[in-house]
Amino acid sequence: MKIKKDEVGWLLLFIAPTLILFTLFFILPILFLLASSFTNWDGIDAEFVGFENYIKLFNKKSFVRAITNNLYWCITAALITVPLGLIIALLLSHRSRGWKVFRTVLFVPQVVSSAAIAMLWAAVFNAEYGLLNFILDNIGLSDYKNHNWLGNVRTANAALIGFSLCYVGYFMVIMLAKTASISEDYYDAAKIDGASQIQKDFYITAPLIKSTFFLCIILAVIFNLRQFEYVYLMTAGGPANKTQVLVVYIWNELTVQRLGRGSAAGVIMIALGAMLLLLLRRILKSETYN
Amino acid sequence: MTKDNSLNFYSIFKWVIIISFVVYAVFPFLWLVLASLKTNAELLDNPFKLPKVFQFQNYSNAIQEAGLIQLIINSLVISTCATFLNILFASMCAFAIARHIFWWKNVLFLMITAGILVPLNALIIPYYAIINFLNLYDTRLGLILVYCAVGLPVSTFILTEFFRGIPKEIEEASYLDGCNFVARYFRIMLPLALPGLATAGTFQFILCWNEFIYAMLLTSSTEIRTIQFGISYFTNEFFSDYVGMFAAVVVSILPSITVFILFQERVITGLTAGSVKG
Repeated sequence: MKIKKDEVGWLLLFIAPTLILFTLFFILPILFLLASSFTNWDGIDAEFVGFENYIKLFNKKSFVRAITNNLYWCITAALITVPLGLIIALLLSHRSRGWKVFRTVLFVPQVVSSAAIAMLWAAVFNAEYGLLNFILDNIGLSDYKNHNWLGNVRTANAALIGFSLCYVGYFMVIMLAKTASISEDYYDAAKIDGASQIQKDFYITAPLIKSTFFLCIILAVIFNLRQFEYVYLMTAGGPANKTQVLVVYIWNELTVQRLGRGSAAGVIMIALGAMLLLLLRRILKSETYN
Repeated sequence: MTKDNSLNFYSIFKWVIIISFVVYAVFPFLWLVLASLKTNAELLDNPFKLPKVFQFQNYSNAIQEAGLIQLIINSLVISTCATFLNILFASMCAFAIARHIFWWKNVLFLMITAGILVPLNALIIPYYAIINFLNLYDTRLGLILVYCAVGLPVSTFILTEFFRGIPKEIEEASYLDGCNFVARYFRIMLPLALPGLATAGTFQFILCWNEFIYAMLLTSSTEIRTIQFGISYFTNEFFSDYVGMFAAVVVSILPSITVFILFQERVITGLTAGSVKG
């Protein structure tokens, strides 16, 4: 609808709250982050120090490990979690008896907060009373009796990234929703041609939900870049910084009031996110045209 | 719909995969509930054995010990206010963008929706500074404002798409009947957009309810602490009373799961709606 002159005021008034909050909590913080990353700001004083923060960060082993760990999280999610979600979505797309129940049950962890999930799995991994050690002990792997999964340098990262694998429900549901829009004609034609269920799944359904699959990969990468709760609550980045990730690193800088350095880490994180997004778009785009 | 009832290799594979993931995802929850009904001594024993007597007092202890009622009320108040403001602001903006022609509307829409892709956790330091500058540190209002703001891109996106789908004849008729800007929004568009508001609202509410890092960053006193931030204190508060801690975790999970089971379809569309377009 064209705007009448006397309604321009109303229009601006309707946009104003969102625009003000967006400026205050999106635009301003990003500019602020960029500016303070070039200073040695400690909460009181700030002096311009050029690229010193960035140089120091990249010389810190724990920071480089945080970036690598974030990339591990992203790669595991993109190459294992999302494809697993695709397989389960394909299987549930047959809509055989009880599919809705399975969909609901697999989606439950998505509704529960990450903080609660972290507490739950910290209990599962616990050395004294944990569920995992009991099961391993009982199937004969008694080497793991009283093994402290999250406190051991060798197993902490694998345990963290490993348990998060089972939460495929979110991606599964997105892809499953997409399968509902596929015309039944394709399957009827395939049936006449004598296609088996597995052929229908992988030659009809999978290619038709390709764009949604790629979308899930992008979402998975964004989610895992901002990974915080699991690591912070289960290992706090330890042991020996082995499980450090970017947001926990920034948090630690904040708690010791090295705000300039923390801001620089934040800038690097946003830049990394932008680079990953561009890279993914490129890879996935060339995939779509082939 | 065709059904293939023959028991072949593929359908065995199918059920093995589905069942094993269900077990993987749900079994730890069940274990936690069972463990929360044991004594601490029984916990160290066989985890699959039922407790001799179900220790329901673990729950009353936990609720008292951790002040769970207060935590849940705080979360409810903050999430409800933040969701209400978020949906009000986002729907006003979406109405302006979706139903009117002005030259900068596409720029505005692109800019706001680009906010969906910003990894917000990178911004904890500026948020901390801004909230302190506004003198809102350790207040409910501070948290409400932040939650309302961080959800705006997704809500504006969902609602703009929804408003665009409403046929314009209804609005034009009301326009000719003399309905002004505000009346068209409140009397015509909002009622028609109820399903969209519910979807965006569900998404926003769950986002607020489950949020952890800003609650930890921007509040400190126990009176306004939310349930998710409260969870992180359980390990200290319960020290070696593991079963009490488990009971507290179960209580903190229960509201989300109950709401989910009651409004399944709404929650699923709500939580996946933000992903319709890349």
